[in-house]
Amino acid sequence: MEMGDKDKFDLEKRSENHINYHLPGSVPSDWRFSGANIANSSLGLVSTDNQMPVCRGDLVGASCSSASMVDSFSPGVWDHPTNTQNLGFCDINVQHNASTINPIGIRKGGPASLRSGIDKTLDIVWNPPSSQLKGGIFLPTTPGALPQSLSQFPADSAFIERAARFSCFNGGNFSDVVNPLGIPEPMDLYSRGGGMMQVPHEVFAGSGLKSIPGGQGQKNVMNMGDSSKDASLSVEHVATEGSPLKNERRSGSFVRSHDEAKQGGSGNESEETEFSGGGRQEEQSMLEGNGGELSAKSPGSKKRKRNGQDADPYQAKGNQQSIEAAKDNPEVQQKGDENPASTPNKTAGKQGKQGSQASDPPKEEYIHVRARRGQATNSHSLAERVRREKISERMKFLQDLVPGCSKVIGKAVMLDEIINYVQSLQRQVEFLSMKLATVNPRLDFNIEGLHTKDILHSRAVPSSNLAFSPEVPMAYPPFNVSQPGLIQGSFPGMESHSEMLRRAINSQLTPLTGGFKEPTQLPNAWDYELNNVVQMGYATSAPQDSQDINGSLPPGHMKAEL
Amino acid sequence: MNPHHHSSYLNPNSLKSRFTKNFLRSLIKINKQTPFPCRPTEMFQRCHKVKTAADKSLACAVGSRRVWSRAMLCKIRNRALRRGPQKPPSVRRIIINNRTMKKGFNCLKEKMNDDQEAGIDQTSKLRKLVPGGEAMDLCNLLDEAAHYIKCLNTQVQVMRSIADFYST
Repeated sequence: MEMGDKDKFDLEKRSENHINYHLPGSVPSDWRFSGANIANSSLGLVSTDNQMPVCRGDLVGASCSSASMVDSFSPGVWDHPTNTQNLGFCDINVQHNASTINPIGIRKGGPASLRSGIDKTLDIVWNPPSSQLKGGIFLPTTPGALPQSLSQFPADSAFIERAARFSCFNGGNFSDVVNPLGIPEPMDLYSRGGGMMQVPHEVFAGSGLKSIPGGQGQKNVMNMGDSSKDASLSVEHVATEGSPLKNERRSGSFVRSHDEAKQGGSGNESEETEFSGGGRQEEQSMLEGNGGELSAKSPGSKKRKRNGQDADPYQAKGNQQSIEAAKDNPEVQQKGDENPASTPNKTAGKQGKQGSQASDPPKEEYIHVRARRGQATNSHSLAERVRREKISERMKFLQDLVPGCSKVIGKAVMLDEIINYVQSLQRQVEFLSMKLATVNPRLDFNIEGLHTKDILHSRAVPSSNLAFSPEVPMAYPPFNVSQPGLIQGSFPGMESHSEMLRRAINSQLTPLTGGFKEPTQLPNAWDYELNNVVQMGYATSAPQDSQDINGSLPPGHMKAEL
Repeated sequence: MNPHHHSSYLNPNSLKSRFTKNFLRSLIKINKQTPFPCRPTEMFQRCHKVKTAADKSLACAVGSRRVWSRAMLCKIRNRALRRGPQKPPSVRRIIINNRTMKKGFNCLKEKMNDDQEAGIDQTSKLRKLVPGGEAMDLCNLLDEAAHYIKCLNTQVQVMRSIADFYST
């Protein structure tokens, strides 16, 4: 980096000028982030062609300080807004990579991308990173993101996002990435991109991009003033939003970078931290059409690719969609993977006829159904099957609810039982309301709250209501007579009857305790069977659950408690 | 139903407590409104009022989350409208039709399938039993029936407790 420092500073100055120059006007209209003016401007500043030759030299010999590289390139970068986008992205990624792994290698990648033009640059830059960062899931996303970001140049956020991502990925993949390229030039690109990336660099300082000349970066940042903050903020947003997988890492790195960036921009940090903390949603909205989506998908696509099967057919589709700027296949494929992410979901969603690899794509609102062996895969029959399964599942649930239905198998009989049970319940309600209508006068002198508490927490203790007792069983036998199968309906009446009797006999008994430990004391007047049933119920559950005794089922069987 | 829950307060937001509150309030109201009936007709009226109050408080406790609770509330309101200011039955019809027609067409085909699957008599019986059941397909009908059974159980429990409490 012979010219490195000197040029860097020159470039910096120029970049600063450019930045200031561009700040007001270069914000693309379609740029989503109003606050991301800086980013836009910075992107705009990333120049593709002019600076490249100049920067390359810088890059090649550049030290690890990616920031410095960025600085050197930034002026050039700033010159060409359109190109800068791409470059910026490349640079950012490269820079990050460089900082983390192999500065030289990264730089190589950067300039190379710049050289070949935006699209190519992106491809070059992105390919290696993606290949490298296999461990890093969202690396592939960034490459994919690039093409899109290119189209949406104001995708500073995407740019920043990538920067953020790379910062997270300190794993030295970049060296490999760069090596295949073997082009020292990409570094130029990176440096250029770094111009704008400086903002994110500062952010990512913690991740390892400390190479960013704090001073330089700060300078630019400071120059940009608020804009840089915005950029950083947007970066934060982007970064955090980009890859859900790496979210925590990014925020971690961001936090670190925030600390690092404290050198000059304390304000930045605070904003950044805030954003990293909570800016996800904003980022999401910001990154909407950006690589953010792609990045989000790319992990999925990456996974899909690894799994192998779905990726290929979808790549074509993805390619069509993703190829906006990138022409190279690897990147496109990466993007293609991302784009198809949505499509496979949909195709899989269509009744899952293909026996979709539903494991890979994130399941959306579709229900994935796999056709069983030997069964028709017609969409109608599949839907029918789903429906039938739903119905049988509900019938099972009803079986648990309705006492005495566990032995029954078959829809028709089950439905009969259910109908009977519902009818008996409704009749009980009628009977009880009638009873209450006659009892009502005594309510007047009771406080409602007291009632509620008493009723809810304890079975009322009729100290002795033998007068009522006969009424209860008398009401219920009709049920028995009319519907022999409805014996369960009679139990509650019997049970309450016996309960009342018990209480009358055992004044100590409190229904709440549920500890009717005196089954033996039951009067012989009652059916021994009934007593047994009641004992079962009481012994195992609170008296309130008298109904649980129906059908002699364990009280827990009834899920009446709501 | 755990035997220890008597020692701790029941969930104040549970269906049971909500229903109990509503029902007690309406019971007290009924008591205040009409004197204790002496004649059987009055007794029947009162009984009907209590039953309506019980149904209504249960439906209110459930809220609008369930089809059957909404249907029950509509039915009660329509009945009140019908009996009260003697509104023309067209009002009631409109209300009912809106509800059923919306789903009627969609569910018609499914209902036919349901009947074949599960027995025509039974499904129709179930539809009649569960409020609002006419306009649902079997799948939802079973769902609503399950919830309805749960709520009915709660209702019976609470009413029995009240009756026991006040019969002392």
